[in-house]
Amino acid sequence: MNAVRIAWRVTRLNFRAQLEYRTEFLLMIAIGAIWQVSVIVFATVLLTRFTGMGGWDSSEVLLIPATRMLAHGLFVLFLGRVHGSGRQIQEGRIDIYLTRPMPVHRQLQLEFFPTNAIGDLTVAVGLMVGALSRSQLDWTPGRVSYLIAAIIGGMFLEAALFTAVTCAALRFPAADYWSRWLEELLGTFGSYPLNVLPKAVGGLLTYGLPLAFVAYFPAAVLTGHAHDTGAPYWLAALSPLVGVAAYLGSRVLWRWSLRHYAGING
Amino acid sequence: MAVLHAWRAARVTPLGELHAPPRMTAVLVRLVVQVILVASLWHGLYSHAGTTAGLSEGQAVTYAVLAVLASRLRELDQYAGRDTVLQHMHFGTIVYWYLRPLPPQRYHALRALGEQVYGFAWALGGYLVCLAAGVVDPPKSAAVAGVFALSLLLGQVVLYNVMLLLDQLCFWTVRNNAAMLILIFAQNLLSGVYAPLWFFPDWFITLSGFLPFQATLSVPLSIYIGRIPLSDAGAQLAIQAGWAVALTLFTRFLWRRAARRVMSQGG
Repeated sequence: MNAVRIAWRVTRLNFRAQLEYRTEFLLMIAIGAIWQVSVIVFATVLLTRFTGMGGWDSSEVLLIPATRMLAHGLFVLFLGRVHGSGRQIQEGRIDIYLTRPMPVHRQLQLEFFPTNAIGDLTVAVGLMVGALSRSQLDWTPGRVSYLIAAIIGGMFLEAALFTAVTCAALRFPAADYWSRWLEELLGTFGSYPLNVLPKAVGGLLTYGLPLAFVAYFPAAVLTGHAHDTGAPYWLAALSPLVGVAAYLGSRVLWRWSLRHYAGING
Repeated sequence: MAVLHAWRAARVTPLGELHAPPRMTAVLVRLVVQVILVASLWHGLYSHAGTTAGLSEGQAVTYAVLAVLASRLRELDQYAGRDTVLQHMHFGTIVYWYLRPLPPQRYHALRALGEQVYGFAWALGGYLVCLAAGVVDPPKSAAVAGVFALSLLLGQVVLYNVMLLLDQLCFWTVRNNAAMLILIFAQNLLSGVYAPLWFFPDWFITLSGFLPFQATLSVPLSIYIGRIPLSDAGAQLAIQAGWAVALTLFTRFLWRRAARRVMSQGG
């Protein structure tokens, strides 16, 4: 309880710190929104030019970027500081965190308030409302619950991927380079049906980099396309749990990596 | 002697990269995977469609793959080198740029030149491999190849000046990360990195025609794939050259103004 109170107080202070530079604060909200709009622009252009993408109609396809963007917005808000934390490792800030009486991971997450998450979530909620209003599906309590679980699972899966990159950065600081690519891959290839890609490439984005579990598989289950994904139905249906399991695994990896962290001076 | 100094400044970033094999390996893996993914995506999209927005499957794939390769021209991890204007402004070390016998604007240009030449080597290597593998189509004629090369060069001058404007912004703003991200986004969207501009609505294409971003990438690539015929290329090259000259003059003006804002030891 005390830890939650401290985290809340630090977050409030971080938020006030962000407000110190008002223009920067507003611009950071704008940049969150703009990055998300770029995904919408790309998806809209493709949907307009190539109708019936991978056998999905446009209202079904919209559910994929909406789910992914909402999961991404929540990730940025709650767990996103792990992305780009390689810079903190390079600057030796982890060494300072190790001397404080708070878990290093929590200190990392409380480093600053992610103002851009406000913009991210605003656009994501707007897109989700648009996707649901265009959807032909019968939104039963079961479907709604599954969608919520998928969004939370997607948030954890994204957090797991970035945590794994940060673990690598603890050993090889230059590994932070991969986090930017990962973000780019999630933004582009996570936003439409992967069955437009050749099977080998789709398999790579499922079993190599589990990008398909963030939004594509959950949307496929909801829209009835799960049998055409090339993966077993049960695996696609378990996407939310895959996200949670991956995050728990990444935290185990984090603890192991931190134990073996040698710091700048060895 | 001046040439020697120029050579030494230009090779700083490429040398840093050559001494970091893991980073080069990462760049290679990323480039290969990105080319495969992008080519697969556009082939997949065209599998049930014919010519779209005036682009055939071959043209669209070639455009998208060349855009990936061209992105290597200015994508070095400058931040890791601790020599970006933003970092120098943050730590107050920008003043050292003004204490050297080399003017800061020339140092900045030489560093960028080295980076772009190094990036070009990557892009050219990737292009030759993609050409040999049949991933991209060759230019229709030697004339197209020549005009494309000229247009690419002009595009790089425009791109350098656009990126320089972002750097120069640091002299006027205490924190400018958001503004930089917004401009980088505009550059990517309006130059056709996300998707060829030909796929966008007419109003969007018209709007981008009034901005310099499309001169950096969309114009040279459109010339290469034949979406801009050689008969129209002259006008496009003139627009590119116009942007290159206007932006160069503007950034030179800003360098002079920026020098007045540099403080040492707080005053």
